[in-house]
Amino acid sequence: MIALDCGDDFATWRDQARQLLGHGIDPATVTWGQARMDDLLAVPTPLPVGPGPFRARVPAALLAQLEQAGRYRGEQRWNLLYEVLWRVAHGDRTAMLAGDRLGSEMQRRIRQVGREAHHLHAFVRFVPLPEALAEQLQLDLVAYHEPAHDILDSACGHFADRLGRQRWLIATPLDGVRFDGQHLDYQRQCPQAWQQWARNAEDPGAELWLAYYRHTFNPARLNPGALRQHLPGRFWRHLPEGPLIPELVGQARHGKQRDGQALEVGRQRGKRITVADPLP
Amino acid sequence: MQLIAKLGILADAAKYDASCASSGAPKRSSRGRDGLGATNGMGICHSYTPDGRCVSLLKVLLTNFCLYDCQYCVNRRSSNVPRARFSPEEVVRLTLDFYRRNCISGLFLSSGIIRSADYTMEQLIRVARLLREEHGFRGYIHLKTIPDADPLLIEEAGRLADRLSVNIELPTDASLERLAPEKRASTIRQAMGVIHHGQQAVAGEPRAPRFTPAGQSTQVIVGADATDDSALLRNAESLYQGYGLRRVYYSAFSPIPDSPSSVPLAAPPLLREHRLYQADFLLRGYGYKAGELLGETGNLALDIDPKLAWALANREVFPLDVNRAEPALLARIPGIGLRSVQRLVALRRERRIRYDDLIQLRCVLDKARPFIVTSDYRPAQAELRSGLLRARLREPQAPVQMGLWG
Repeated sequence: MIALDCGDDFATWRDQARQLLGHGIDPATVTWGQARMDDLLAVPTPLPVGPGPFRARVPAALLAQLEQAGRYRGEQRWNLLYEVLWRVAHGDRTAMLAGDRLGSEMQRRIRQVGREAHHLHAFVRFVPLPEALAEQLQLDLVAYHEPAHDILDSACGHFADRLGRQRWLIATPLDGVRFDGQHLDYQRQCPQAWQQWARNAEDPGAELWLAYYRHTFNPARLNPGALRQHLPGRFWRHLPEGPLIPELVGQARHGKQRDGQALEVGRQRGKRITVADPLP
Repeated sequence: MQLIAKLGILADAAKYDASCASSGAPKRSSRGRDGLGATNGMGICHSYTPDGRCVSLLKVLLTNFCLYDCQYCVNRRSSNVPRARFSPEEVVRLTLDFYRRNCISGLFLSSGIIRSADYTMEQLIRVARLLREEHGFRGYIHLKTIPDADPLLIEEAGRLADRLSVNIELPTDASLERLAPEKRASTIRQAMGVIHHGQQAVAGEPRAPRFTPAGQSTQVIVGADATDDSALLRNAESLYQGYGLRRVYYSAFSPIPDSPSSVPLAAPPLLREHRLYQADFLLRGYGYKAGELLGETGNLALDIDPKLAWALANREVFPLDVNRAEPALLARIPGIGLRSVQRLVALRRERRIRYDDLIQLRCVLDKARPFIVTSDYRPAQAELRSGLLRARLREPQAPVQMGLWG
């Protein structure tokens, strides 16, 4: 049994896999773990040196797919990829297609990773720093986000496109990224200072967004199941509108479902218009 | 009035418009440049409200003062609602603030009709111009078009916005006359024609200034009048063909406060709206014709989806051999979507397709089973009558509580 550790880094894994493939080493006899061997009874074998005799040819598209699937955090993260690579390199292309049992799992992981990148683009919430602090830290916007897969590095360029010369950072429990208006600085280990700035930012200006969220909701169409399906509960606590969700659902269930109007608007004085009225 | 109070009133007044899409815009980026905003064709839903609808844009009215008296509308002049009006600068400020926070991908601005159609349209254009020209905003802008406005103003709006929309609201002349006396079907169609003409003028000319690159859309209200699904779908089909519309939105009529007696005070028909969206998708994505889905009159079935309904009514087409059938026909099998069709075609180039492959592809086999043949499967129900099959496949309907007043 060969036990390997690639530090959850795709480039490292790719070099290891290329070497294994060159020596014709069967997927059943390799395992990638976290630093130590998981299987106590296995006798560790070293990784053979040199490129090895077997020259594998695989379609170019496969490498991109393996890289994307490698961002998935889960069981057998790297073993699964080597098994796909092995089968395709030995002429079985179905291993990368969704119809195959293994290929279907890889494709599912690719979809999950893509979905998680989309979640980042959708659900990151930046807090603008007050001017003095922004000047001191050279930073305009901070955000804290907890992605389920390793997508920050590959997906964060989106915000450089969106925010122009604004300086921002996104901290996560693992990694982090900072943009100074010109360059992205990605850190595999998020500096503690970044995490603190992002988690402790005060946001007196959040009220406007919360007011909008309350009022754009139509209680007559209440459908909390659909909300949960598109906006999984794990994101709620980092969204400013998260705490409003149960409150609005509760209000709607207790009588506010009659019509579409928000409670706060219904309480205000109305105004009928006659055509003779001078309009603003 | 404070900004936050105006925002409450004017967001509340805008929520009955169903569209909140931010997709279809061309690639734009602000990387390393002054200004703010990017689009890449993909829409982003930044949040969801407890009605399960996506929040992609800041959707507000510039003002809910309105001269018109459309019976279905919460902002009609005879409605007793609080009124407010934003200045263009206030809308700009809100848009940029929410955008910077990553709460939205752009702005969807509409308005009540004040003074005149032209004046109202000019105000909407002013907001878009401020955003684009003063603030270098490259995010998504959707402007509502006032049907009676000068065509020159509509063209100006089309050069600033990613999408324009003119709402039909009620698909028949009779209903418009009864419920929206100030609106006319002919001017609505004329405005659509102006937009369509503007799009055609720049089509195929990559250097021409962009004109509504994300297309135009419209909305019809479902359940405020007696129009049936057949009329709604035929109307949608003619709009897709005649004006190159990108989307028709169906909005189940929500009861409004201070409701006039001319419109229903019932819960919005959400399932009917859902079936219309499904049928509409079949028109746009799958190549169905409205006439295939419904006869001259009638409504879509609520207990089965329209694709299954078509398959049950056309049993002579089935069962289809998944290994041989044309992709366009594969896509007509209930429970097999466009993505699965693509995958099946890729897979069958490599080898014969078995029943187990469909499970791996996560096709909805409960629906597909009676309609398919694979290399190792033939349906036992192939001879079963459609009525019996339907009884097995129908979705359970939530029980309707007996009303106190019948």
